[in-house]
Amino acid sequence: MTAMRQALLDVAELSVAFPGRNGPIRAVDGVSFRLEPGESLVIAGESGSGKSMLCRALMNIQPGAASVTATRMDWQGRALGALSPRDWRALRGGQMAMIFQDPAAALNPLLSVGRQIMDVVNAHRACSRAQARSRAIEVLGLAGLPEPEARLASYPSQLSGGMRQRVAIALALAAAPKLIIADEATTNLDVSIQAQIVALLKRLQRELGLGLIFVTHDLDLAAEVGGRLMVMYAGQPVETGPVQTVLKDPCHPYTRGLLRSAPTLHSSRETPLQPIPGQTPKPGAVGAGAPFRSRCPVSVEGVCDVRRAPWSEAGPGHRVACNRFALDGRGGLP
Amino acid sequence: MSKPMIEACGIDKTFTLRRDGRLVEHRALKTVSADLHEGEILGIVGESGSGKTTLSRIMIGIDTASKGEILFHGDRVATRREWRDLRRHVQYVFQDPFTALCPTMRIGKALAEPLAIHGIGSREERPARVARMLEMVGLHPDMAGRLPSQLSGGQRQRVNLARALMSEPKVLICDEIVSGLDVSVQAQVLALLLDLQKRLGLSLIFISHDLRVIRYLCDRVLVMYLGEIVEQGRTDEVFAAPKHDYTRRLLAAIPDRDRPAHHSPIDEALK
Ligand SMILES: Nc1ncnc2c1ncn2[C@@H]1O[C@H](COP(=O)(O)OP(=O)(O)OP(=O)(O)O)[C@@H](O)[C@H]1O
Ligand SMILES: Nc1ncnc2c1ncn2[C@@H]1O[C@H](COP(=O)(O)OP(=O)(O)OP(=O)(O)O)[C@@H](O)[C@H]1O
Ligand SMILES: [Mg+2]
Ligand SMILES: [Mg+2]
Repeated sequence: MTAMRQALLDVAELSVAFPGRNGPIRAVDGVSFRLEPGESLVIAGESGSGKSMLCRALMNIQPGAASVTATRMDWQGRALGALSPRDWRALRGGQMAMIFQDPAAALNPLLSVGRQIMDVVNAHRACSRAQARSRAIEVLGLAGLPEPEARLASYPSQLSGGMRQRVAIALALAAAPKLIIADEATTNLDVSIQAQIVALLKRLQRELGLGLIFVTHDLDLAAEVGGRLMVMYAGQPVETGPVQTVLKDPCHPYTRGLLRSAPTLHSSRETPLQPIPGQTPKPGAVGAGAPFRSRCPVSVEGVCDVRRAPWSEAGPGHRVACNRFALDGRGGLP
Repeated sequence: MSKPMIEACGIDKTFTLRRDGRLVEHRALKTVSADLHEGEILGIVGESGSGKTTLSRIMIGIDTASKGEILFHGDRVATRREWRDLRRHVQYVFQDPFTALCPTMRIGKALAEPLAIHGIGSREERPARVARMLEMVGLHPDMAGRLPSQLSGGQRQRVNLARALMSEPKVLICDEIVSGLDVSVQAQVLALLLDLQKRLGLSLIFISHDLRVIRYLCDRVLVMYLGEIVEQGRTDEVFAAPKHDYTRRLLAAIPDRDRPAHHSPIDEALK
C-alpha cells in the first residue's frame, strides 16, 4: 500500500452542541472525514441537519453559545485546537476560505466591493495597491461577474442577489487558499454561471490541488462536482461514499427518500413530488436511537429506538449508518 | 384564461452608478411588459442580474419605475392610496432570508404579528395557528420560541414564507425561496403552494434559478436576459420548444446526474 498523503483536513467525531433546557442539543453529532489536496467532499442533507454549523466549526467561527468537540481535528497534520488567535487569522481567509450561505454575512454593506477584496488580498500577501486592485479584478472576473473593473466601486446593496454571491466567491478566491468551503455558494446563480463556477473550482482542484467542501441541496449538481458525498440527517452523517455510487445505489432510507422527492426535468404536477412522510424530530429529541427512526419505513423495533446505527460497508468506500442494513446487508430492500 | 390582475406596462428602470469617479446610468429594465393573472403561477427565470427582483418589486410598488405604469384589475395605480389597496393583498418573500426578519423578535411573535395587524382570528387561537403554519412548512412548533439567529438558512427561509402566508394574501411573490431547502422539504413547500392556488385561488410570482422546479410548478414562464423578457409562454411549451437562444443555453446547463460526464455543461466550460 502506498503511504497516505498528508491530509488538508483530518477530522474525527466532530460534534457541535448548543445548551438546551433538557441538556445539550447536538446540531452536529459525530462527523469524521479526511480531505486530501485536490479532493472534494460534497455535503447534502436535511435543512437544519448541521451542514453550516459543521463548516463553521472547521473555520472556528461557530456561534458563541456553541461548544465544539472532536477526537481529532488536524489541518495539514497540526491540531487546530492548539492554534493561537494569530495563527487562526493567518489560516482563515488565507489558507482556508469559506463562501457563506448568507452573502450578507461575508460582505460589509458600508464598503465598496473592490475595497473589501483588496483588504483580503493585502491581509494575506505583501503587495502594492495596484497589485491588490488587479487581483480584485481578476478574482471578480473568475467568479463570473461581468465588467469586474466597473463593479469595483459598487456597494453590496447595488448588486443583485447572485452578483453579491459572486463577490463572496471572489473574496474566498482572493488569497488563493488551499481549501475552499462552499456553503450553498451557487444558490442564487443561474445555471450557466453556476456551471462556470463549478468548472473553475474543479480546474483549481486539478491544477493547484485545491481541497473543496461543497454543501448543496442539489443532488444533480453534487454529481457534477464529484468526489465523495456525505448525507446528513438531524446532525448525524447517515451515508457516505463516491457521489455517483451513493446516488445510483442509495442504502440509507433517508437518502432513498430524499432522492425520490427530487424534481427532475420530467416531473409534472400529474404525478406530484413525494416529500418524505412525517416530521423532522423535535430539536434535541433524537436521543440514543437512530435519528430517522420516526419516519423510517424499514426501522427495526427494539433496535432503532435504543441503538445508534453502526457503520456498515455497502461497497468500496461506501458506508451507511443504518441498523436495518447492519442486520440484513440490504437496508430492507427485497 | 382569467383577466390580468396586475399588469406592468412598458417598465423602465435606470440606476445611477459611479464609475471611475463619474456617474453613469445603468438600465436594469428595458421597456418590460408583463402581467399576472388571477389564480395563476407565473415563473420568472433568467440570468443572474437580469432584473427579475427589480421587476417583481416594481410590480407591487416596493420600488418605483423610471418609466411605465402598473395596472391593478385594469386600473392605473398612481396615488398612495391606490398602492396601499394593491399592497393589502400582496405578500413578498425576499430573496435574502437572513435580513428579512427582525433579529430580536422570537419566531412565534413574528408569525402572530400579521394576524394581529389584519385582525385575523382571536387572540387565544393565534398560538395554535402559528404552530399549524410552522408544521405546514416542515418546522417543529417548538421553533416558535427561537430567535432568527438560532435557525439554519433553510429554516429561516421557511419562517419567511410562513410569515407571508399568515396574512392570507391573494398574491404572493416568492423570490428564490426554495433553493435553500432540501428536496423533501422543497416538495412539501411546493405542494403547499399548489394547494393554496387550488383552494384559495392564490396568484403567485415565483422567481427561481431551478428550472426543474419552475417546470413543475408554474403555469406560465418569463425568461429574462439583460433587462429584457426574451421569451414567455406556457411552461410546457417553452421547455419543449425554446425559441430564444438564451433559453436554450439555460436548459442545456441544468445539472443532471444521468448525463454522461463529457456532456456536462461543466466539462463544456472547462474546455
Ligand atoms: N444559535 C443557535 N442556537 C440553537 N440552535 C441553533 C443555533 N443556530 C443553529 N441552530 C440549530 O442548529 C441546527 C443546524 O443548523 P445549520 O445551520 O448547521 O443547518 P444546515 O444543515 O446548514 O441547514 P440549511 O440547509 O437549512 O442551511 C439547526 O437545527 C438550527 O436550528
Ligand atoms: N439599488 C441599486 N442600485 C444600483 N443598481 C442596482 C440596484 N438594485 C439592482 N441594481 C442593478 O439592477 C440589475 C438587476 O438587478 P436584480 O436584482 O433585479 O437582478 P436579478 O435578476 O434579481 O438577479 P439575481 O438572479 O442575481 O437575483 C443588476 O445589474 C443590479 O446591479
Ligand atoms: Mg446551512
Ligand atoms: Mg434577484
